[in-house]
Amino acid sequence: MTTAASASAVSPSTSVRVPVWAWALLAFAVFALYFVSQENGALLSAPAAQMLHELTHDARHALGVPCH
Amino acid sequence: MGLSFGSVLRRGVLAGVSAGLAAAVVIWLVVEPVIRRALAVEDLRSVHGGQSASAGLPAHGGEEPLVSRSAQVVGGAVTAVLVGVAVGVIFAVVFARMRERLAGRGDFGRSMVLATIGFSAVSLLPALKIPSNPPAVGDPETVGRRTMLYAVVLLLGVAIALLVPVLDRRLAARGTVPSTRWAVDVVATVALVVLVLVLVPGSPDTVPADVPAALLWDFRLASLAQLATMWLTLGLVFGLLMERVVPPKRALEPVAA
Repeated sequence: MTTAASASAVSPSTSVRVPVWAWALLAFAVFALYFVSQENGALLSAPAAQMLHELTHDARHALGVPCH
Repeated sequence: MGLSFGSVLRRGVLAGVSAGLAAAVVIWLVVEPVIRRALAVEDLRSVHGGQSASAGLPAHGGEEPLVSRSAQVVGGAVTAVLVGVAVGVIFAVVFARMRERLAGRGDFGRSMVLATIGFSAVSLLPALKIPSNPPAVGDPETVGRRTMLYAVVLLLGVAIALLVPVLDRRLAARGTVPSTRWAVDVVATVALVVLVLVLVPGSPDTVPADVPAALLWDFRLASLAQLATMWLTLGLVFGLLMERVVPPKRALEPVAA
């Protein structure tokens, strides 16, 4: 009881060392979100963008992202 | 020795998958019925002699749809899971970086606090300014402007979520008592949110007259239900998984083969 209490009180450090690649991963995740929600032909060819748009259509509306 | 980032990330991905699946279920059960009602409105437009084109109202696809309705429903569910994973990854990185600064009792509390901040800043605030719309609403001509406004509000939401804690730490450094700090934090948050809502222009669109108000309301509520489900599931599952991190037992370490 006392050991558990003191252990949590002096828990060495709650910080987690975040490696540099984690930020690249974060950027990739943000890009993926952009891709499924807002890619309207800026990076893809028009037919491919149209296809992606139609496939992700329902989720886009549900997520509240502006859509057509 | 603290927690490794990899173990935090794994929990983020797992929580993200759960959140995406929960969101997909809500889309299927709650959002899709409303989308069907909206598509019925669009169908009526094309039945009435293609007047939609002249009136500038959105009518999907034309004669032959690129993707069938059933494929759109499945695609929507898959998209929801992908979005859940991406949000889970971002959540894990931010959580790892901010862990010692997040308020809350234990990792479960911290996870719920971060999920609440995430929902408020990047889902609720943009939804209040640029509300979601069902199919049959939304002028294709203005989608660029609406997207830009949506992104601006989202970024301002993130900025508020970053600014208020900075303000709080400044006040703490000056020796302000916690109750006063709390009051200043709340007032600052409310003031900044009101500023964003007042100063950023709203959607330039008008809702077409043939879209019932009840349909619009039901859709916006369904959309928020889906977003809230995603964030709530993410916070709950990530928090529960983090609580189950086995603390390294130093006594066992010297045992070597």
